[in-house]
Amino acid sequence: MILVIAEQRDGALNRATWEALVAAQQLAGGDALKVALLGGQAGAAAQELAAAGVGEVLTVTDAALEPYTPDGYVLALAQLITSASPQVIALAHTYQARDFAPMLAARLTLPLVTDVTGITGSGTQATFTRPMFQGKLAAEVKPKTAGACLVTFQIGAFRADALKKGTSPSPMTNVAVTIDPSAIRQKPEAPFQEAKQAVDLSQAARIVAVGRGIKAQDQLPVAEKLAKAMGAELAASRPICDSGWLPMERQIGSSGQTVAPKLYVALGISGAIQHLVGMKGSRTIVAINKDADAPIFEVADYGIVGDLFEIVPALVAELEK
Amino acid sequence: MSEILDVDVLIVGGGPAGLSAAIRLGQLQAQHGGEPLSIAVLEKAREAGAHMLSGAVLDPSALRDLIPDFREKGAPLAVEVKRDRVYFLTSKSRIPFPIIPPPLRNHGNSIISLNQFVRWLAGQAEGHGIDFFTGFAGQEVLVDGQRVIGVRTGDRGIGRSGEHKPGFEPGVDIHARVTIFCDGVRGNLTKELLRRFQLGRGRQAEQFAVGLKELWEVPPDRLEPGTVMHTLGYPLRHDEFGGGFIYALREGRLSVGLVAGLDYRDPLFDPHMAFNRFKQHPFVAGLLDRGQMVRYGAKALPEGGWNTIPQPYMDGALIAGDAGGFLNSMRLKGIHLAMRTGMLAAESAFEAIRAGDTSEASLARYQRKIDASPVKAELYPVRNVHQAFGYGLFAGLAFAGLSLATRGRWVEDLHGHAGHERMETLRSYYGASPASLAASNATVVDRRLTFDKVTNVHFSGTAHDEDQPPHLLVHTEVCSSICGPEYGHPCMRFCPANVYEIVQEPAGPRLQINASNCVHCKTCDIMDPYAVITWVPPEGGGGPQYNGM
Repeated sequence: MILVIAEQRDGALNRATWEALVAAQQLAGGDALKVALLGGQAGAAAQELAAAGVGEVLTVTDAALEPYTPDGYVLALAQLITSASPQVIALAHTYQARDFAPMLAARLTLPLVTDVTGITGSGTQATFTRPMFQGKLAAEVKPKTAGACLVTFQIGAFRADALKKGTSPSPMTNVAVTIDPSAIRQKPEAPFQEAKQAVDLSQAARIVAVGRGIKAQDQLPVAEKLAKAMGAELAASRPICDSGWLPMERQIGSSGQTVAPKLYVALGISGAIQHLVGMKGSRTIVAINKDADAPIFEVADYGIVGDLFEIVPALVAELEK
Repeated sequence: MSEILDVDVLIVGGGPAGLSAAIRLGQLQAQHGGEPLSIAVLEKAREAGAHMLSGAVLDPSALRDLIPDFREKGAPLAVEVKRDRVYFLTSKSRIPFPIIPPPLRNHGNSIISLNQFVRWLAGQAEGHGIDFFTGFAGQEVLVDGQRVIGVRTGDRGIGRSGEHKPGFEPGVDIHARVTIFCDGVRGNLTKELLRRFQLGRGRQAEQFAVGLKELWEVPPDRLEPGTVMHTLGYPLRHDEFGGGFIYALREGRLSVGLVAGLDYRDPLFDPHMAFNRFKQHPFVAGLLDRGQMVRYGAKALPEGGWNTIPQPYMDGALIAGDAGGFLNSMRLKGIHLAMRTGMLAAESAFEAIRAGDTSEASLARYQRKIDASPVKAELYPVRNVHQAFGYGLFAGLAFAGLSLATRGRWVEDLHGHAGHERMETLRSYYGASPASLAASNATVVDRRLTFDKVTNVHFSGTAHDEDQPPHLLVHTEVCSSICGPEYGHPCMRFCPANVYEIVQEPAGPRLQINASNCVHCKTCDIMDPYAVITWVPPEGGGGPQYNGM
C-alpha cells in the first residue's frame, strides 16, 4: 500500500497534494493507495480528497495538530505509519514537507528520497530520478534497504490533471493517535506574508527573453505577442528588470534565475557573460540583435542580425497562420 | 531600538590592519593576564579575505614581529621574490632601468595572494578567541558628545524601496571602550570620522589611485616564479601618475595590474581602458599570449603619504591601515604598514583600557608609538614624492631620487590638491565639447586579451542581493544638468565595474546605477568631480569574491 500525506492549511488543500497523488498512482501500479490528512478537524479538505475516489482517506484529527508544528506532525505520523505499515510514504516536496519529512524519516529509521522528478518501476522496486547539482544532472536512486521509504515529489514534475479519479467517493476513516502536547517544542507564530506568487521560469519549456534592445517599456507588447504565439514564458536580462519594466523574478542570469528550456529566444540581448551563464544550457538558442558582434551570437544556434521591431512581428504573423 | 552588544575593543574591518590588531590584543591579553577583554571584529565580506585585493608583494617585517614563527604556522607566502625588473614603456617598446631603484628592490619579500594571507590571519586571530563577525558591515559611527562609543551594523533584509522583507533583521549597536577603525581605503566610517572630528585639519589633501588587477594562467615556462616587474610610462601619459606590474607566481599564474592616479586631468580618461592598453603592449601581450584571465578586481589605494595622514586618534577611537592612509606609494607597499599600525593601535588600546582612561589624551599614545616606529622612519623621508609626481613623471622621478639622496630633508613641503579637483572640464581640456563621450583612450575589446567592464566584473565574483536599496547615494539632479555638459559623465569611465551608465531616454539622459556590479573599490566616492557620490556598505555579505587574488 502507498500512503500519500496530504497537506492543508486552514482547511484548504495544497494543490501540490494532487501532484503527489498522481506520482503515487504511478508508483502504486495496481496496488492500493491511501491518503492521510492531518489537522485540528477533518473539514472540507478531507471531503475533497474523498470525492476524488482515489483511495481510502485516513483523517488524523487532534487539537495539537493545529497549527502545524513539525513535532506534532512527526508524533502523529510515526504512529499512523507504524500501524498502517505502507510500502511507500509519498509527499509533495513543499516547504512543510521539507520541514518535517527528514525528522519523520529519522524517527522511523526509514530512507528518504527527496525532490523526485520521475519514477521507473513500482512499489519497493521503484527507481527514482532526482536532480543533482542544481539540476545540472539527473540521478537515478534507489533506497539501499528493501523495506518502506519516504519519497517527496518535486512540484511541477507530475501533472495534477493526469489524476485517475475513481467512479465513486472513497471511504473516510478517522485514525486515533495520542499526542502529548508537552512533547511539542515549537511555538508557531503567525505565518509571514508570503511573497507574491513567483513565476518559476526554470519549469518553462520555451522562453522569450528581452534585453535593452526593446528600448522602452511600452514596446514590451512586441515581445509579449511573440511569447503568446509560441506558448512561451516572458523573461528578461538584468537592465529590464532593474528598470522595473518586468518583475525581478523574470530575470535570467547570474543574479537572477538559471534556465535550460528547449527553446530560448533572445530579443535585443547583447549577451553579457552574466546573462549567458543563466541560459547557455538551453537546448536551442535563437538570437535577434542589431549588432553582429554581440556575444550572444557566440552561443546562439540560430542568429538573426537585424531590427527586432521588424523581425518579431513577422515571426508572430507566421506563427499565427 | 537596536539591540546592544557591549565589548571592550571593537575592530571594524577584517583586513591586515584589523586582524593584526586583533591578534596583538590576544597576545597582550595572554601575556599580561587580568580580566579578559572581549574583542570583536566586523567584516563586511561573507568570509575572511573575500574583499581583499592587492598586487601583492609583502614586506614581512611586521609579520615577523607579530607572529615570529609564521613559517611554522603555515603563512601562505606564495613565492619569494627572486628578481626585480623595472621598465619604461613606450607605446611599442620597453627600456629597462639600468639599476633597480632601491625602493623597488624586493630582496627578502614575498609575492602573496592577499586573499589567502588574510584568510590565514583570520585563523590566527580566531585562535585567540576573538569574535569575528563576517557578513556584517559597519553602517554608522555611534557618538556620545565628542566621544566615539561604537558602531551600528547595517540592517539586513530590506527591499529595494525600503520595505522590510520576510528575513528582516535590524542592525546591532556594538558599544566598545575603544573602537579601532580599519575600514580600508576611503572607509565609509573613517570618512564620517574625518568630517565630524575634523581629523584632517592642518594636513594635506588625501591622494588616491585606483589599481586594476587580473590573475592569469599562462604556459608555465613564461616567467620564472618570483619575478617582479614594474613599468612606468605607457599607457599613461607623463602627467598621469601610475604604472603597471606583473608578478610571477607558481604554476604559470601571473598577477597583472595597472595603478592609475585618481588625479588625472582628462575627463574622458578611463583607467580600465588604460589597463586594456597595458595588456596590449607587445611586451605584456607576449607574456599573456595563449593564457587565460581567471580573476579580476579593482581597488583604490591611498597614495598621499605622511603629510596626508589624518590625526589617527580621538576620544574612544583609533584609525589604522589604509583607512588612515598608511601606505608607501614609492615602494608600492602598504600591507606591512597596515599590520604595523594595527599592532600599534592594539597596544595603545590595551594600555589605555588597563589604565582606565580611553580619552583622546590617553589614546594620543598611538601617535607617539607611530612616530617612534618604523612607520614614520619609512614614510617621512618620502613624504613629498607623490606630490612631486603632480608636476609630471620626470619631475616625480627626479624628486624621488633627490629624496633618497637627502633622506627627505626639505625646507618646505610640496602640496597636492585633492585629485578630483584636478580633473578639467571638457571645454578646458579639449577646447570645445568633443563629438563623442567615448573614453579618450578607448581600445579594441577582443574578450581574450582585453575585456569590457561587464565581463571583467563577472570574473570578480561580485554578487549582491538585487532586492535591496542602492548602496551608492548619488545626487542625480547634478548628472544631466551640470555634470554631463561640463565633464561628460566621468563616472561612466572611472568606475571599473560598469556601475554607472547613462541611458538615453526620450526624456533625456538618465543615470542608471547598476549597484550589484560594485566591487567596493571606492573610486566613485573619491573621483566624482562634484563629490555627490557617497558609497555606503550594501547588505553584509555582498561584494566581490577575490579567491586567490
